[in-house]
Amino acid sequence: MSTRIYVPCDAAALAMGADVVARAIETQIAARRLDAEVVRNGSRGMFWLEPLVEVDTPKGRVGYGRVIPEAVEGMFDRNLIEGGAHPLCIGLTEEHPYLKKQERLTFARCGITDPLSIDDYKAHNGYRGLQRALNMSASGIVDEVLNSGLRGRGGAGFPTGIKWRTVLNTAADQKYIVCNADEGDSGTYADRMIMEGDPFVLIEGMTIAGIAVGATMGYIYIRSEYPHAVRTMRRAIEIARANGYLGTNVCGTGKSFDLDVRMGAGAYICGEETSLLESLEGKRGQIRPKPPLPAIQGLFGKPTVMNNVISLATVPIILDKGAEFYRDFGMGRSRGTLTIQLAGNIKYGGLVEKAFGITLREAIYDFGGGTATGRPLRAVQVGGPLGAYFPESLLDTPLDYEKFAELKGLVGHGGIVVFDDTVDLAKQARFAMEFCAIESCGKCTPCRVGSTRGVEVIDRIIANEDRTKNLELLDDLCELLLDGSLCALGGLTPYPVLSAVRYFPEDFSKPASLPVASLSAQEKQPWH
Amino acid sequence: MALIQEVDYGTPARTAGQTFTLEIDGKPVTVPAGTSLMRAAVEAGVQVPKLCATDSVEAFGSCRLCLVEVEGRRGTPASCTTLAEPGMKVRTQSPKLAKLRRGVMELYISDHPLDCLTCAANGNCELQDMAGVVGLREVRYGMDGANHFKTPEKIDGSNPYFQFEPAKCIVCSRCVRACEEVQGTFALTIEGRGFASKVSPGGTQFLESECVSCGACVQACPTATLIEKSVVEKGQGEHSVITTCAYCGVGCTFKAEMQGNEVVRMLPYKDGKANHGHSCVKGRFAWGYATHKDRILNPMIRSKITDPWKEVSWDEAIDYTAGEFKRIQAKYGRESIGGISSSRCTNEETYLVQKMIRAAFGNNNTDTCARVCHSPTGYGLKNTFGTSAGTQDFDSVEQADVIMVIGANPTDAHPVFASHMKARLRQGAKLIVIDPRRIDLVRSAHVQADYHLALQPGSNVAMANALAHVIVTEGLLNEEFVKERCDLVEFEKWRKFVAEERNSPEAMEQFTGVPAAEVRGAARLYAKGPNSAIYYGLGVTEHSQGSTMVMCMANLAMATGNIGRRGVGVNPLRGQNNVQGSCDMGSFPHEFTGYRHVSDKAVRESFEQDWGVPLSDEPGLRIKNMIDAAVDGTFKGIYIQGEDIIQSDPNTKHMTAGLSAMECVVVQDLFLNETASYAHVFLPGSSFLEKDGTFTNAERRLGRVRKAIPPMQGLGDWEITMKLSNAMGYPMNYSHPSEIMDEIARLTPTFAGVTFDKIDRLGSVTWPCNDKAPEGTPIMHIGQFVRGKGRFLITEFVPTDERTSRKFPLILTTGRILTQYNVGAQTARTENNVWHPEDILEIHAHDAEERGIKEGDRVSLTSRAGETTLHAHISERMQPGVVYTTFHHGFTGANVVTTEFSDWATDCPEYKVTAVQVAPARRISEWQEQYLETRKQTTQVQNA
Amino acid sequence: MVHMANQIALFFAGYPHDEAVAGVTKHIKDFWERRMRDQIKQYVAEGGGGLHELALEAVKRLT
Repeated sequence: MSTRIYVPCDAAALAMGADVVARAIETQIAARRLDAEVVRNGSRGMFWLEPLVEVDTPKGRVGYGRVIPEAVEGMFDRNLIEGGAHPLCIGLTEEHPYLKKQERLTFARCGITDPLSIDDYKAHNGYRGLQRALNMSASGIVDEVLNSGLRGRGGAGFPTGIKWRTVLNTAADQKYIVCNADEGDSGTYADRMIMEGDPFVLIEGMTIAGIAVGATMGYIYIRSEYPHAVRTMRRAIEIARANGYLGTNVCGTGKSFDLDVRMGAGAYICGEETSLLESLEGKRGQIRPKPPLPAIQGLFGKPTVMNNVISLATVPIILDKGAEFYRDFGMGRSRGTLTIQLAGNIKYGGLVEKAFGITLREAIYDFGGGTATGRPLRAVQVGGPLGAYFPESLLDTPLDYEKFAELKGLVGHGGIVVFDDTVDLAKQARFAMEFCAIESCGKCTPCRVGSTRGVEVIDRIIANEDRTKNLELLDDLCELLLDGSLCALGGLTPYPVLSAVRYFPEDFSKPASLPVASLSAQEKQPWH
Repeated sequence: MALIQEVDYGTPARTAGQTFTLEIDGKPVTVPAGTSLMRAAVEAGVQVPKLCATDSVEAFGSCRLCLVEVEGRRGTPASCTTLAEPGMKVRTQSPKLAKLRRGVMELYISDHPLDCLTCAANGNCELQDMAGVVGLREVRYGMDGANHFKTPEKIDGSNPYFQFEPAKCIVCSRCVRACEEVQGTFALTIEGRGFASKVSPGGTQFLESECVSCGACVQACPTATLIEKSVVEKGQGEHSVITTCAYCGVGCTFKAEMQGNEVVRMLPYKDGKANHGHSCVKGRFAWGYATHKDRILNPMIRSKITDPWKEVSWDEAIDYTAGEFKRIQAKYGRESIGGISSSRCTNEETYLVQKMIRAAFGNNNTDTCARVCHSPTGYGLKNTFGTSAGTQDFDSVEQADVIMVIGANPTDAHPVFASHMKARLRQGAKLIVIDPRRIDLVRSAHVQADYHLALQPGSNVAMANALAHVIVTEGLLNEEFVKERCDLVEFEKWRKFVAEERNSPEAMEQFTGVPAAEVRGAARLYAKGPNSAIYYGLGVTEHSQGSTMVMCMANLAMATGNIGRRGVGVNPLRGQNNVQGSCDMGSFPHEFTGYRHVSDKAVRESFEQDWGVPLSDEPGLRIKNMIDAAVDGTFKGIYIQGEDIIQSDPNTKHMTAGLSAMECVVVQDLFLNETASYAHVFLPGSSFLEKDGTFTNAERRLGRVRKAIPPMQGLGDWEITMKLSNAMGYPMNYSHPSEIMDEIARLTPTFAGVTFDKIDRLGSVTWPCNDKAPEGTPIMHIGQFVRGKGRFLITEFVPTDERTSRKFPLILTTGRILTQYNVGAQTARTENNVWHPEDILEIHAHDAEERGIKEGDRVSLTSRAGETTLHAHISERMQPGVVYTTFHHGFTGANVVTTEFSDWATDCPEYKVTAVQVAPARRISEWQEQYLETRKQTTQVQNA
Repeated sequence: MVHMANQIALFFAGYPHDEAVAGVTKHIKDFWERRMRDQIKQYVAEGGGGLHELALEAVKRLT
C-alpha cells in the first residue's frame, strides 16, 4: 500500500501556503518515483503549525509543522516517507501535548480523515449515530439529545433537545432543519473547520435532526466569506446523496431528508437566527420579533430546528455513544465539551476541544502559551465582539455558561481573543459600539440610533468633554440597549462597553486624546 | 361636528373563537387568542406608547416604546409582539419603563428636526405626541451628532398628491409594511442598514417606482415624512364627514376631512366594511374634479345644438324641458320620450328618475347605464339562483382556497378589493385567471396564478363548457349538493349537454386557443376547492354571450357545491359605484324595484296604489332601442342623468345619429360631456360630496353618501328630478332623500328593513334586509336558493358574428386602467393624468413588427364601424392577434370602433370583441378632426 | 332585429323544441317593447326570411 502524506486543505492551512506545499510534495513523489500519495485532510486545529504535513507510518502519523515549499526537498532527503527526523518534525501528531490534553468528541475526526471520503468517514465511526437513530422513535431521539445536556453552541446556550421537542410537537405539513453557519464572531472558526474538515458529521447530525422532528428538508446557511466551506459542503452533500444517505430514501428506510447550501451576503446580523431566516427566504436580513419562535413558525412560516454547526455536528456522537457518555463531560449545567478557539495576541492559536469547566487561565496558558508578544496579558474577550472584556484577575473563571453569566460575560461560541498590556480599553469600548453601529440591521431604535450615539458619547469621554455626565449617559444608553433592543446585537453590546468601563476605569480617565480612527477606515474587519 | 379620530389598537384584530381574560394595570380584559398585549391594553382602556405599531399592519416590534412588564417574567417585552395569555398580569407603567421610553424618545429626537411649529403634521404627529407622553425634556446627546436633517435629502414631490421628506423619517417601516401587507404592491423598501437605513421607493422617485399611489403609506406614516400635498398646502382639517366613494363598485367608506366647506383630504375609514381602511389612487386622491373649473353651475338651454348655450334660471330650464317633453308626447305619442339614469348617482336619485318616467312620462322607457356593463349579471344569476346580484360580501374572500378571476382586472379596476384578494393569495390560496391579457394578477409581487388560461376574446362560453365537461366527466361533481339544492331535471339535461365530447377541452381548444391539459388542470383545481370562489367583471358580460357566460359560472358553482357559505360564490365586480343599486332601483324598462316584472299585476298594483297613477304593464325601450327608435323617427325626447352615452356606449356614429334625430335631449351632469354636445337642455348636477343618499356596492351593501359641502349649483340631483316631475304634472314632495328610501323600503320586499337611521347605526347594510334578515344578508343562498331549487341552464357555445377577416385581422378588446375611471369625466380632470394622459393601444411585438409599428407610434385603429388613431405600446401582456385599449378619453373615441353587436338577452354591448386593423398613421382620423370641431362648436356658452 | 331574434333562438336551441319555442316567445314578450314586437311580427308576416326556425315559430306565437 502506498504511503499517505497528509497536507491540510483547511482555509487556515491554505492561507499558510498548503497548496504550494502539496504540489512540492507531489513533485518529489513523482521525481523520486515513490509509492506515496498526497491526501488533503482537514486541520488538526494547531494553527501556528500550519501547514502541518503528516506522514502515515507504522508507528502512527508523524507531523512536520510550518512546512514551506523550500523545505520539502530536504524533508524527502531526510526520509520523510518513513517519518524521518527533520528540524520541522514534531514527532507523532497524536502525542503532541496540545492535542493529547484535549477531549475531542465533536472534532474526533477533524484533521484525521479525507473530508470528502465517505468511506474514510464510515471507517472512523461515521454514520453510526444515524444508524442507531433510524431504529429509534422520533421521541426517543429527541430524549437522547435532551438527556445529553447539549446546549446551543452558537452562543445562546439554549438546550438543543427542548428546541427539537417543540418542533416535534408542532404539527405541520412541512418542517425544516436550518444550520446556522454564519460564523461571524471575531476569533471564531470552529464551524468552518468542521465544514471543511469533516462535512459528513454535519450532514449526519442534520439528518438525525430531520428524522427526529419530521423535517424533510434542511438548509445550511454559510457566510459568503467561507467559499471553501461552501464548496466542501456542496460536494459532501452530493456524495451523501449518491450513497443513499440523503434523498427520498435515507439508508433504505423510505424516509426523506435532503440538504441544500445557501450563501449569506456579508451581514453579521444574519448570524442572528431570525434574520438568517429572513435572508434564507430571500428577504432583507432583518430581525423578526419572537414570538413566534422559529421552532413554531420558522422558515417560510413552518416549524424549524435552527442550530449552530457545532451543535448539529455533536449530535452524531451523542446518538452513537449515548446521552450519558456525553453528559459525563462538563460541569454544572454546562455538559459535554466546548470547542475553544484561541485567537488574538496568543502564542499558540488554535482549536481546543475540552470539557466545560476548564478555566480561562488553563486555556490561555496551558494551551495557548500566553501572549504572542510575550508582554503581560491585560484583557481577554470571550464570546465574540459582544462578549465582555475580562481583566487578568478573572482568568480563573471556569468556562461555564452560568459562571460567565454571573459576571455579565458570555461563553458564546467559545472564541477567546487575548490582548496584552498595550491595549486601550476605551478604544475597545468605542470599537464595540461602532461594531454595533456598522452591523445593526437598522430595525430597532436603541440599536439603530443608539449605537451611533454611543460612539459619539465615548468619543466625548475620550476627549475629556464633560466626562462624568457622558459616562452617566453612556450608562443609561447601555441600559436601554440591554433592556430595549430587539435582538442580541444591541442587547449585548453593553457587555464589552460596560466591562471595559468597569474593569479598566483608568483607560477612561486618561488625558484627552485625539479621536480614534473610524473602523471603516481601518483594515477591513480584522476579526474575520 | 369635529374631527373624527379613530382608535388605533396598534395591532390587527384577531377572530379566534377561543377567548380568555388577563389583567392590564389591574383591569381585567377578555380578548381572543392571538391578541397582542398592546391591543388588549387598548381594549382595557389603556394606551401603551407606540410608534411603529398601527392596527392596519402586523406587529413589527422596532420602536421599543411599547415595552411592558409581565408578572413572573424577566425583562421588558414589547407589548405589540407579545401575545396575551390567560391570567397574565401586565404592567404598562413603572419607573423602569418610563426611563426606557424616555431613552427611546431621546434617541428619536436626536435625529429629528425641531421644526414642529412649522411642520405640516403639527397637531397630527405621533412622534410629537409620544415625546409629550413620555415627558421628554432634554436630548442629552445634543443635536450635533450624526443626523439626517442638517443636510437633508431632497423632498420627493414627484407624486402629484403626496410628498416624501426623508429628513423627517423615523424608519418605523409602517409605510413599507402598509405597502406590502395592506396594498400588496411591495413598492417600498428600507435601503441600507443601521443608522443609514432609509425608506426608499426602490431606489428611484415615487412617480417612477412601482408605487400605485393608493395612499396606504401616507396614511400609515406617523410623522410628516409622507404627507398629502393638500395638507401641506391647507393645514389640518377641523371636522370630518363619513361618506362613500363615488368611483368603482367596491364602495369604500371615506372620511372627508374638512375645513369649513373645503375638503382637505379624503382618508379611507377603518370601519368601512368594504375597504377596512384601505383606498386607491382614485378615491383617496382624485376628488379635485368636484371643484374643477369645468363644472357647469347654471342651467342652460338652446333650441338647436349648433346654437351657443344660454344660461337660464332653474325654473326656466325646468319649464322649458317640461314644455318640450309635453309637446313631443302630444305630437308623437306617449312613448316617444324616455330617460336614462346613472350608476354614479344615488339609489334615491335613480329611483326617482324611473319613477318620474313611469309615473310622469307614463311609459316604461327607462334604462340605466348598467345596461352596458352588468345587465347580463342580473339576467344570468336571476335565472339560475333567483337573485340578480352577487352572492358574497368581500370579506368572504378570506376563506377562499381557490380564486377564479374571469374577465376582470381587479388590480386596475377594483384596486381595494384586489389588495384584499392578494392578501389571501399570499396566504396560499390558489389562483386561476381566465383572461386574454396577462393582467397584473397573473404575476406580480408575491402573487402568481396557478393557471392563466389566456383564451381568445369571445370564447368564454367555450371555456366554461370545457371546464364543466371536465368536472362532469372526471367525477368532480358535488352530487350531494346538487341532489339537495338543485332542480334535478334541469341538472340532468345540463349534465348530458356538457358531457358531450364537443364540449371537451380538446374539442374547444380550436375556439379558446388554450391547451386542453391546462383547462383540465384548472377545472380540477376549481372543483377540489374546498372553497372555490369566482370573481368576474365586464370581460364576462360585455359579449354576445354575456348572459350565457354568467349562467355558465352559476352552473360551475352549483355543480361543485361552491355556493351558500363563506369563501365561495359567484361574484360580479361592479364597474361603477352604484351599478348594483341602479339595477335594484327598477331602472330597467321591464321591471320595478327588486327585479319584479312590470307585467306582474300584484306588484304593479302596489306601485299604482302608492304612486296614485296607472302604470304600463309593457316593457319599455332599452338604451339601444331608444336610439334605434330615434333613428326610425318614433322617439324624440330623452332625459339623461349622469351618463355620457356618446363616449361610453358602442358605435358612436349610430349613437350621434340617434341623438341628432331627437327634438329634446336633456343632459344632467357635472360637465359638458360628449353627450351634451347633442343636448338642448343642460341641467348641472352635483357631485357625491354635495349630496345625501345611498350607494349599493358589489356586495349588495348600502353605504351612506353624506353631504360634505352644499350643492355648488344649488340643487341636489333628486331635487332637479322632482322639479321636472312636478312640471310634467306628476307631483313629488320629498323633503329629504331619506323619505325616498322609506318609499323604496315600503314598496320593495328585499329592502323592507332599510332606513337611513339603520344604515347610520350599522355603518352599512347588505340587502336583502327585512324582517327575516333585519341586519342584512352578507352571504346569499345559504341552505336554499332564492328561487328554491338552483337551476342549471344549457349553455351552448355560439361564436360571435364579429369575426376577424383579411380586412380586419385583429381582435380589439377594451378595458380600464388604474388611474383613470370610465369616460374620464372625473379622473381626467385631476392630476391622475400624470399617469395616463391618453388612451394607448397595446399590441404584441409580433403584430407590431408585421405592420412596421414601433413603440410610441401613432396608429390607426379601424373596424367596420369606424376609425380612430392613438399611440401604440408594444406589450408582452398581449397575445398575438389581440390588441387592447381603454376608453377613458373622449378624443380617443374607442367606441367609434366598437360595433352594434350585443348580448342576446340584455343588449349589453359586445365591447370586448371587435375585429380591427391597425396600421401606422401620420395624422389623426377624420372622426377625430370632426370631434374637435364639433366639441368647439357645441360647448360654446353665450355671454350673458 | 333579425340578428337579435336569432341570437335568442340559438340560446334556446339546446332545449327540446316546444320548450325552446316557449322560451324564445317569453323572452321577446318580457323584454321587447311593443314597437319592436310589432316590427318583428310584421317581418314574419312578410315571410320572415333569414329568421331562425325557432324565432319564426316563437314570433308567430306572440299575442
